[in-house]
Amino acid sequence: MSGTENKPEETTLPVHETPRGNVLVVAEQILGELQPVTIELLGAATLLAGKLGTRVLCVVMGYNLGDIPQKLVQYGADQVFVADDESLENYRTLPYRRVLIDMLDSLPEPPHVCLLGSTTTGRDLAPRIAAHFETGLTADCTELDIGPYEHKSKVDPTKLGLYPDCLYAIRPSFGESLKARILGPWKNPQMATTRPGVMIPLKLDLNRPGEIFKIPVNLKQPDYRLQVERVVREVSKGLKLTEADVIVAGGYGLGTVDGFTILKDLADCFENSAVGASRKVVDLGWIKYEHQVGQTGKTVRPKLYIACGISGAIQHRVGMSKSGTIIAINKDPDAPIFKFAHHGIVGDVYHVVPELIKAFKKQSKSEKQGVETVVHSH
Amino acid sequence: MPAPYDIFVLIKQVPDQSSKAGLNPDGTIDRAKAKRMLNPFDRFALQAALFTKKMYGGRVTAISMGPPAAVEILLEALEHGVDRGILLSDRRLAASDTLATAYALHKVVKSLGPFHLIFCGLQTTDGDTAQVGPQLAERLDLPQVTYCEDFAIENDQAKARRIIEGGVQYVKSDMPLLVTVANSYHHLEYKSFRGAWKVQRLARNPEELKKFITTVDLDMVQADPERCGLKGSPTIVAHTDKVGDIGGNCKMYEGQSVPELVDEVIKATNIKEFVKA
Repeated sequence: MSGTENKPEETTLPVHETPRGNVLVVAEQILGELQPVTIELLGAATLLAGKLGTRVLCVVMGYNLGDIPQKLVQYGADQVFVADDESLENYRTLPYRRVLIDMLDSLPEPPHVCLLGSTTTGRDLAPRIAAHFETGLTADCTELDIGPYEHKSKVDPTKLGLYPDCLYAIRPSFGESLKARILGPWKNPQMATTRPGVMIPLKLDLNRPGEIFKIPVNLKQPDYRLQVERVVREVSKGLKLTEADVIVAGGYGLGTVDGFTILKDLADCFENSAVGASRKVVDLGWIKYEHQVGQTGKTVRPKLYIACGISGAIQHRVGMSKSGTIIAINKDPDAPIFKFAHHGIVGDVYHVVPELIKAFKKQSKSEKQGVETVVHSH
Repeated sequence: MPAPYDIFVLIKQVPDQSSKAGLNPDGTIDRAKAKRMLNPFDRFALQAALFTKKMYGGRVTAISMGPPAAVEILLEALEHGVDRGILLSDRRLAASDTLATAYALHKVVKSLGPFHLIFCGLQTTDGDTAQVGPQLAERLDLPQVTYCEDFAIENDQAKARRIIEGGVQYVKSDMPLLVTVANSYHHLEYKSFRGAWKVQRLARNPEELKKFITTVDLDMVQADPERCGLKGSPTIVAHTDKVGDIGGNCKMYEGQSVPELVDEVIKATNIKEFVKA
């Protein structure tokens, strides 16, 4: 921003002094397991509340929450609002929506900012709350800040003027290679969801003081229109993408679903590895959704990322560009992925990947022999 | 036989990002010049709507909001087998954010009378917010299933499988219901010969086409223009930055035999550190 160029006579604009409210984080837990994005959000909320000079509130909904409320305090919440009720055991839009709306209505003033994770839950719930309160919501943010904004558009003259403490919700604008700063200063709470794995959590502090309140759960008949019959957590499928040290990912350039067989073989050569995929191949049904990297809020940052036959659309790039080492294999030397990979191999995945596997099998064999030799010398 | 279902499917025309046409040097899209396409996620919503009709009977109405050119995707939907299309097109909708869009769409839905199901794509590729579906459900006071991977109707109740973090949820719900369909939904190749034939015939006869595709404006659906467009949008894009090329200096390996290439890459990177012992 080139704020220094502002001419002094423009300061006649009205200043919209809004009271500085608190920063609310909507916590997320699945069957009693606190989700990492909540801890990250508490870190971001602490920074924002620090700039506003206000406090961090957190609301958590679920059943048999145990020590989760205390943990939320230890990770930065000044006040925790707890709805612990059997009807909240599994996430369902309408009951969670009801409790959150009632909680917000019970506050003496709306929070300045309200944050949720860009998860399947946060992206389900946040738009309902924003539409109910008719307030602004920005999805999948990668940065958050507080700062001033001068509204000069005369479309709505009542909005003209200076807004001193806006939430800056910053997100990649897909397809346009842009980062957009999105504001909604007219009304609180100013809402945003943030991508998991982006915000920096505070260190756990067992002595951090905080208050914990129970809040009522008063569901109405229409809130029961949808029931959860069962939840299946997929634990057997190996490592989650977000936790893997190495990701071997495939794209449309593989040409066929069978390409994932050799990618799996390559992934198996590494410790803590997982197989990833571009959206396009998930669209085609070549591989399941949980392998998809980018676009739907999933950001991965493994130490090593091997992209095979992936062209490198902006959505994919935003999802994985923070990886340690990025190696791309693609037949097309002009593929966009070579603009942000660290090492680019121009070649056929079906030739290069088997050669890599061969090299690694040899390596692990020779290392094993090395170990045996040492054992024998004893 | 159960009552036939009235099924709505919401679709959007988006710029084709794989094409370089209409891309300004500063990274923004010139929407007038860009090639246009059906939002890729909406294919799955169309599949879900048409598969539901095929299995349980009913009528599918495709609804879109956009400039007059968006009639192209309604024709495409007709080709796939939807029964009719509604296009909400009005200059006063320009610069609508998700809340204003959901408001306008809910007015279209209300103008069409009772229904059982609304299918939407999970999100669009130009906005990527995934907000309009749930915001529309809020406006219409509906239950919702987002990230839906599979859908069926049993005893007049909707049954669905939806993705959650690290797993799936199986849910059942009363109708009417709004469903956003994930790109992992797969049921059938949905292009219908009858639909394609019908569209070819309609393309030659604009008068007949009007029976299948209706264009409406804000007044016709009794929407308040103050709640649409820039005025009805609580968010604004205040500032944009170009995203620089991340990484940038890609070291390229090419022109040698594959074993040589691989050998060179293994030597130049830390890749060996991660190999299982």
